[in-house]
Amino acid sequence: MKRKKILVLAVVCLALLLVVLPFASACAAKGPKPGQELKIGMMTPTTGPAAEKGSPMGHANLDAMEYVNTELGGAGGYPIKVLWYDSGYDAAKVATFVKRFIDEGALLFTVASSAEMSWAMELANRAEFPGLASFTAPSLYRPPKHIYGQMPDYGDDWTAFANYYMKNVWKGTGRPKMALELLNNPTGYGARDAAKAMADKLGIDIISTDEHTATTISEMDALTRIKAAKPDVLYISSTPKPTAVILKNARDLGLLTGTTIGLGHAGITKALVDIAGVDVVEGVYGVFPTVNWDDNVPGMAKMTEYVKKLHPNDYGNMDYITSWAQSLIVAEILKNAVKNVGYDKLAKGGVEAYQAIETQGIQKLNYDVAGLHGPAIYTQGDNRLSKSVRVFQIRKGVITPVTNWLEAPMIKYEDFPWFGK
Amino acid sequence: MGLPSGTRNYTYAQDMAILRTRTHWALFIGFLVLLFGAPLYLSGYWLGVANLIGITLIAATGLNLLVGYCGQLSIGHAGFIAVGAYTTAIFTNRLELPFLVGLIGAGVVAGIVGLIFGIPSVRVKGFYLAITTIAAQFIIIWVINHWSSVTGGFVGIKVPYASIGPLVFRSESSQFYLIFTIAVICTFFAKNLARTRVGRAFIAVRDNDLAAEVMGINLFYYKLLAFFIGCFMAGIAGALLAHWVGFMNAEHFSLTESILYIGMIIIGGLGTTLGPILGVVVIRLLQQVLTIQLVPFLEESLPLPSGFATGVTPMLFGLAIILFLILEPRGLAHRWMLFKSAYRLWPFSY
Repeated sequence: MKRKKILVLAVVCLALLLVVLPFASACAAKGPKPGQELKIGMMTPTTGPAAEKGSPMGHANLDAMEYVNTELGGAGGYPIKVLWYDSGYDAAKVATFVKRFIDEGALLFTVASSAEMSWAMELANRAEFPGLASFTAPSLYRPPKHIYGQMPDYGDDWTAFANYYMKNVWKGTGRPKMALELLNNPTGYGARDAAKAMADKLGIDIISTDEHTATTISEMDALTRIKAAKPDVLYISSTPKPTAVILKNARDLGLLTGTTIGLGHAGITKALVDIAGVDVVEGVYGVFPTVNWDDNVPGMAKMTEYVKKLHPNDYGNMDYITSWAQSLIVAEILKNAVKNVGYDKLAKGGVEAYQAIETQGIQKLNYDVAGLHGPAIYTQGDNRLSKSVRVFQIRKGVITPVTNWLEAPMIKYEDFPWFGK
Repeated sequence: MGLPSGTRNYTYAQDMAILRTRTHWALFIGFLVLLFGAPLYLSGYWLGVANLIGITLIAATGLNLLVGYCGQLSIGHAGFIAVGAYTTAIFTNRLELPFLVGLIGAGVVAGIVGLIFGIPSVRVKGFYLAITTIAAQFIIIWVINHWSSVTGGFVGIKVPYASIGPLVFRSESSQFYLIFTIAVICTFFAKNLARTRVGRAFIAVRDNDLAAEVMGINLFYYKLLAFFIGCFMAGIAGALLAHWVGFMNAEHFSLTESILYIGMIIIGGLGTTLGPILGVVVIRLLQQVLTIQLVPFLEESLPLPSGFATGVTPMLFGLAIILFLILEPRGLAHRWMLFKSAYRLWPFSY
């Protein structure tokens, strides 16, 4: 009798075990196990010649990732592990860091500048390793491969500004004369390519194209020539430091009076106002693809809370918004990929994981980026994720929007025989 | 000097041998095994760093022949590397010529460009020559940026994988073997060149060019030869860099890089074959270790303000270079010689 009872008890226990175990394991499978994480690589030029942009961008990347991990629970429930390095705006370092990211099992990588991506892109394309750059130029993804642009590129800036100028600023007769002052890398070259492709169509004469370096200390000779040509508009596509030099030189030559100044989005930031001074930048136009600080958008409150808590000096810097948004997009890409292919496939790493990130993460994007810039939506054949920009004007030191979002159309640069030559 | 106690040279061949004893051979073979076995124990990233070191070593060896042996100060070496990189890019991409043609062409074209910028060395020397070579740096980069129909201008130019016949150097490890085979050949060439009539002429020109001329050394010939050989190696390094990175624009070849090359051969030890090796390894590893290892370590282990550790990195890099120069102005190669001598004589002091 006793034996029978024990037997029944054992059978009941076994049955219970059989029922409970799969249920328990199913429940356990929902959350990440210890050590399960999604690795990504990020680099910013926190030191070196572009540090005035790279430093706040690096802060923003990491602050946003902290927000994603602590308050949003990571991506798809998995914490995001960031491998972050200071590129120093150095080509050799960038090349080795891309390899480091691949080695460490990162699923994708991000950079801040178009120059950094130009040094990284071939290595990444060869490995099919997806990369996302904040600031881009058409040469990085025309024709499209594995490199994506977070926002419209420097060519789109020029097109948006030229459109705005022709519709709202130009009051003269005939075709306005435009001079270009360009940084000698994709930042400047993107604007030059757009001007080559679109100026005639928009009714603008490009009268001169001058280049400068990121470390320039005077552009007096170029601006003297430009002044002699009497331009109606001077367009500068550069980073804040050289832009400040050019604007100060232009002021000294009297070029700021009677000439409209337009800037690409690498130049029009708080850093420019700080470096050049409020009086020099007064009235200058610029194109920027994000909202301004304190704009009423859903993501502003959280970003402001973090910047004030962690990096109060970056408050007011629009580059911070750009990189904060970049991290949110990365988290969304990972979330999509986890949802569509599962963690295990991503955890295996290698080309299959990269392809999953691209096809099931990036190319499934339909994300409003918390309103911080135009929505990030992938369109077939166009590796720019957001395609919207706004025109701003600096008024009493404040970068003030003067337009709503403008859609930047895709230009197929590769169809022009001069592109890339 | 340099031979263990009791080892004597009885023949000319023994006197000229680079590797004289069995221990020398054993150490050398052990080093080669360790070096060429690296792909078996190094990760992709460290192989990448090793490849960068190998490429830099080839260029630095060329610069050492020019500056360390012949005394012709050049601060435009990155410009000559750029000539090599763009030559192979144009040969293999635009003209679709084989890699080997691109590689040799890169060396020859860079050597010829070096000859052109070396001509002023006949009339000027020291700091004045340094200024003319800085001009080379700027002129070369300007030409690259503005001759866009050939070089791709500011956008840059793609470079295919290196390949010899059906063998394509796609992986990091295959590129490692290519780069280090050439690096070993270049180092061996430099070591031997220094022991030839040409090498001795270089040293004579460096030590006192007037005395050298009085002895019958053709200054014009030997100075230009030094420029050609130095820039030839720079061109080879540039070609390998181009095929390794796969994409070139002029920003790879800044004046800062040129100055860094001078720093490498000074830290390693001017006028020695070992100097460039030690200098390149120390500087390239320092760059990587400070950024990859030290910054994350400092940020995780110390309560520093965010970004502080990153800002400290360039200062530490500069400080390390200053300390090297103060504590061992004759370079690490000299320190290594002292160590070897002390080891051989131990436990005696002399």
